[in-house]
Amino acid sequence: MQFLLTGILCLCLAVTPALAGDLDEVRDLLKGKVDKVVVLLQDKTLDKVHRNERILDIVSPIFDYQTMAKLSLGSKYWPGLGQAKQLEFSELFIKRLQASYLDKLDLYTDEEILYGEPQAQGKTVHMPTTMVSRDSRIGMLYKFYRAAQGWKIYDVEIGGVSVIQTYRSQFDGVLSEGTIDDLLGKLKSEGSFALPAPVDTGSRPGAQ
Amino acid sequence: MTSLPRTTPARLPVFLAILVLLSGGCAAHPAAVHEPVSATGPEVSSLAAVGGDPFALEEEFTAGATEPVSDPLIGYNRLMTQVNDKIYFWLLKPVAQGYRAVVPEGARLAVGRFFRNLLMPVRFANNLLQLKPKRAGTELARFLVNTTVGVLGFGDPAANRFGLQAYPEDFGQTLGHYGVGSGFHLVLPLLGPSNLRDTLGLIPDYFLDPVSYIEETDVQLAVRAYDRVNYTSLHIGEYESLKKDAVDLYTFLRDGYEQRRNKQIEE
Repeated sequence: MQFLLTGILCLCLAVTPALAGDLDEVRDLLKGKVDKVVVLLQDKTLDKVHRNERILDIVSPIFDYQTMAKLSLGSKYWPGLGQAKQLEFSELFIKRLQASYLDKLDLYTDEEILYGEPQAQGKTVHMPTTMVSRDSRIGMLYKFYRAAQGWKIYDVEIGGVSVIQTYRSQFDGVLSEGTIDDLLGKLKSEGSFALPAPVDTGSRPGAQ
Repeated sequence: MTSLPRTTPARLPVFLAILVLLSGGCAAHPAAVHEPVSATGPEVSSLAAVGGDPFALEEEFTAGATEPVSDPLIGYNRLMTQVNDKIYFWLLKPVAQGYRAVVPEGARLAVGRFFRNLLMPVRFANNLLQLKPKRAGTELARFLVNTTVGVLGFGDPAANRFGLQAYPEDFGQTLGHYGVGSGFHLVLPLLGPSNLRDTLGLIPDYFLDPVSYIEETDVQLAVRAYDRVNYTSLHIGEYESLKKDAVDLYTFLRDGYEQRRNKQIEE
């Protein structure tokens, strides 16, 4: 029996293009998560705070927030920060990212989500989707890489605009004229995702 | 299927990557053939090679297509971004909200489709200029179906019944398609982020827009304003949400615009 299964497996591997398994895996992974989120969004009886917590629980395992934080600063700035500032930045950035994601979901009405063909892009897999809304179609591209714990998202492009790229430009703009403290200050104060008070983590002696 | 991108050598790999992405990203033609992406650098066999170094992923963000935007008018641009922001919150949004309260969504969607149908000549001509005859043909077919069966374009049976999606193109994209760089960034009053190339592109597109041929200037302006209010009424909350994301609103809008245009040109 095992022999037979191994034989079938080998045959499959021989006839399917390289990595088709990886590509399918990424698509199924994303689709599984997005479908669950859509079910929650369509349930109008849910309390929003509770709903948002559940949504974050669903999607967080496939987002590599730490890597996104590092990429948004880039190797130009990240290594020189020191551990305390790195931690503080990561925390502020991740909170902002999550708040931004949840905020976008509030704009969700009845959009249908179409899944395109996942593409191997060198070391990464890009999973294109299209949001079909009442009067427009917006491409959303999820970029995955294979981490030790499985496939993780490190960037999302919305309508051709990369989330990480836009953060990089903004952060580079702030840091080329100011210091990391200026940036941390802006992350705390600019936009509506500003934090009302410093977050107490108990592990950051450098924080206020 | 897709014609050649601008070919500044350093940008080519990135553009090819984008091109391949887009060919998969558009659900309108699911049967598109996906070429292997050998031109994008590392071999596909190194798929799992990122390992523990997040900066191994950084290359795509530092490559040529993402070089800093030319912005000599940054002072003016920042100011105009503030002006447009105020125009939106003080004028456009309240008017659109009032309009939204009175006119049902179905009607506003139909009005939006009517105005978009009118702009067919812009899309048709620019698809032709970019040597995309198939897409131009689709635009023509859409116009004929939607203007007749769709009752002057208020409906979109071309998409709903025949699966014919629009292929938006404008002259800025046509220039970009033939290798014209974006020039410096330029924020236009009322219209928002643009650049030198796309601003110049507005001129030929103006002459392809039927609304431009309304002789009474005030009527023409009123029609344009109505189109804008109608559109805004269907998109309230989107700018607000974008604004929340921004650490620096101007840089955010500027880079977002240039990224989006680069992608559109590659389509």
